[in-house]
Amino acid sequence: MNLQNVNLNHFVHAYKIAPWRIQRQWIGSVLLAVVTLAMIAALYLDVTAQAAIAGREIQDLTAAIAASEQASADLQTQLAALTSASVMEQRAEALGFRPMETVEVEYLIVPGYTAPKAEILAAAPLPQLSAPTISPEYNQSLLDWLDETLSSSSSGGLQ
Amino acid sequence: MRQQYAWRSNTLGGILGLIALVIIVQIVRIQNSEEAAIFRQRALNYASELRTFYPDRGEIYDRNGHLLAGNITVYEVGVDLTTVKDANAIAMTVSVELGVDFAETLALIQNPPEGLSYLVIKDFVDAEKAASLQQLKVMMQEQAADGALGSLTGLEFKAHPQRSYPEGALASNVLGFVNREGRGYFGVEEKYDTLLAGNPVHVIVPTDPNKAVDIPHVPDGTTLVLTINRDLQAAVEGILDDALDTYGADGGTIVVMDPRNGEILAMAVTPRMDLNQFWNYGVIYQNASEFNPAISMPYEPGSVTKILTMAAALDTGTVQPGTQFLDTGSILVGGINIRNWNSEAWGMQDMTGCLQHSLNVCLAWVSTQMGAQNFYGYMDNFGFGHLTGVDLAGEAAGRLKVPGDADWYPVDLGTNAFGQGVAATPIQIMMAASSIANNGRIVTPHALHAMVRDGRQYSAPAQYAGSPISEQTAGTLSAMLAVSLENESSLALVPGYRVAGKTGTAQIPTETGFYDTTSTNASFIGWGPVDEPQFMIYVWLEKPSASIWGSETAAPVFSQVAEKTVILMDIPPDAVRQQIAVK
Repeated sequence: MNLQNVNLNHFVHAYKIAPWRIQRQWIGSVLLAVVTLAMIAALYLDVTAQAAIAGREIQDLTAAIAASEQASADLQTQLAALTSASVMEQRAEALGFRPMETVEVEYLIVPGYTAPKAEILAAAPLPQLSAPTISPEYNQSLLDWLDETLSSSSSGGLQ
Repeated sequence: MRQQYAWRSNTLGGILGLIALVIIVQIVRIQNSEEAAIFRQRALNYASELRTFYPDRGEIYDRNGHLLAGNITVYEVGVDLTTVKDANAIAMTVSVELGVDFAETLALIQNPPEGLSYLVIKDFVDAEKAASLQQLKVMMQEQAADGALGSLTGLEFKAHPQRSYPEGALASNVLGFVNREGRGYFGVEEKYDTLLAGNPVHVIVPTDPNKAVDIPHVPDGTTLVLTINRDLQAAVEGILDDALDTYGADGGTIVVMDPRNGEILAMAVTPRMDLNQFWNYGVIYQNASEFNPAISMPYEPGSVTKILTMAAALDTGTVQPGTQFLDTGSILVGGINIRNWNSEAWGMQDMTGCLQHSLNVCLAWVSTQMGAQNFYGYMDNFGFGHLTGVDLAGEAAGRLKVPGDADWYPVDLGTNAFGQGVAATPIQIMMAASSIANNGRIVTPHALHAMVRDGRQYSAPAQYAGSPISEQTAGTLSAMLAVSLENESSLALVPGYRVAGKTGTAQIPTETGFYDTTSTNASFIGWGPVDEPQFMIYVWLEKPSASIWGSETAAPVFSQVAEKTVILMDIPPDAVRQQIAVK
């Protein structure tokens, strides 16, 4: 029983101090570090690529908004030209209408009727498209985040 | 054996390590070399660009939401000199499509000024022509061989907004115009230029999308809503044009204002200009005051001023409506004999009769009875010689000579009483007369109803400029003027509506200092309905040839404008209003 225990201890000890085992441990550690670095690099690359794509999309969308606004202004002005006073007068005359005389106007008293007031053109406020609406997560790189975290933690320690 | 393998491994590891070290050293050396610093500097130069975002100019609407001034997209057509493939093709295409000179364009593209990488061929090209050129460029690209560039490569298009006026010349004197540099001239375009133009934003934009800071939100210029009623403006301009034809007048001005709050509902003048062709300004107008005579061309208004003289006299208690005056046909003031318009004596008249027959002699007597201090004090309070503050660019203050001025003579007290020897603009007289129509309170005329910015609408409140006369005086004088029109069966009367008003026929001073004996300025000022004034109309016809008298020219024009006004502004006849009031 004792002999068996001694042999097992010797075997375990020999296994532990075997040079090839130590080498493997070193290689494993190095490989682990390399894989970890590769994963961080891949993650960084992925985030950076996504940020770049998002940035490009923002630029495209901004250009599209500007183009839409210009097109809208164009159409609005065209519509105004098509319904201008002179055009409407011509169309009315072509349809057989003529300006009304004061004696031809009949006024009816409608209880509760309120005369129309001048136009109110204010629309709902547009969404704010300025930088403060975008949280840092969408435009901050991993290094930026790391830098900010480190600097905030160090400044926190000083306080 | 094991030792041998170890040696080999160590040697290999050392060599690889050395190579890695050399690579690292080389990386560090390159990154810190002089060339690297130059490249970094170059990269920095392209890493961001300073861009200026110009907001779209605010639009202008009438009080009912009709667009009077908007923006359209036009294009700057240019050539990117770094990518030009066929200069001949580009020069030929733009010369045909845009009408630019072929040889000149070709020379510019082939031998551009040093350091230039982009060349503007033509700006403000309309969208249709730009689209046609763009289509042509695409077609040429499609026809080019695989992988080759089209012959119009390098032709570039940059869109930008341009001011557009869908109503053309309508209310041109009120709106003003914007030149190609984006600066407003005349009217509201100049008066509210800063508001309409908005604030350009300068931003450093990184080109690296990773640093995609958001494009800044550039709010558009403020949108304005005017007090003008487009349909009334069009109708009044039509009436004015017809009146010039009918009465053979050289020019004319008609202003319609709400005397309760000073809102200008229509302001028609001649000549007018198609604002989309503002470059014709120099052809149409000889000087700036012609653009909007209603506010910038003071003239001797003549007898319309009598209502102000009478207002002052009633307010001071100098006369009462029933005060009798024996008109002998002339009166001596300051050593000068003043006569009536027809040089006749009108006998015994009360003050209503003096206004009804527009007697110069009577009003000169009234002003002398009042005294210079009182008379000029009231005229000053009425705003003569002062700017009204109307929110249109280019207003003139006119001139009221007062005792103490080098060119004031005692006779002026008499002549000023009936509107000669004093210069005022139509808008000044309307502002002064608003005190009579508005229970003694003067309103400041204005064209801005509201402004819209960032989705919010701000209304422009009515402003009052004092109370030169009492409410009682205003009521008394309004009634006198209404009676005087009715007694005379004036052509200014409006069926169904009781109106108050006064004609004016003024002599025109010449450069020699004497009055023109052949032509006059015919005017009329009136308001209604008398018991609840909702409109005030001023008519000025310059040198009418069909008749020199305001009662035969300006008065019927007033009536026509009033009829249009009550229809378009939904003002029921007196009988209907009284019926509503009873209920």
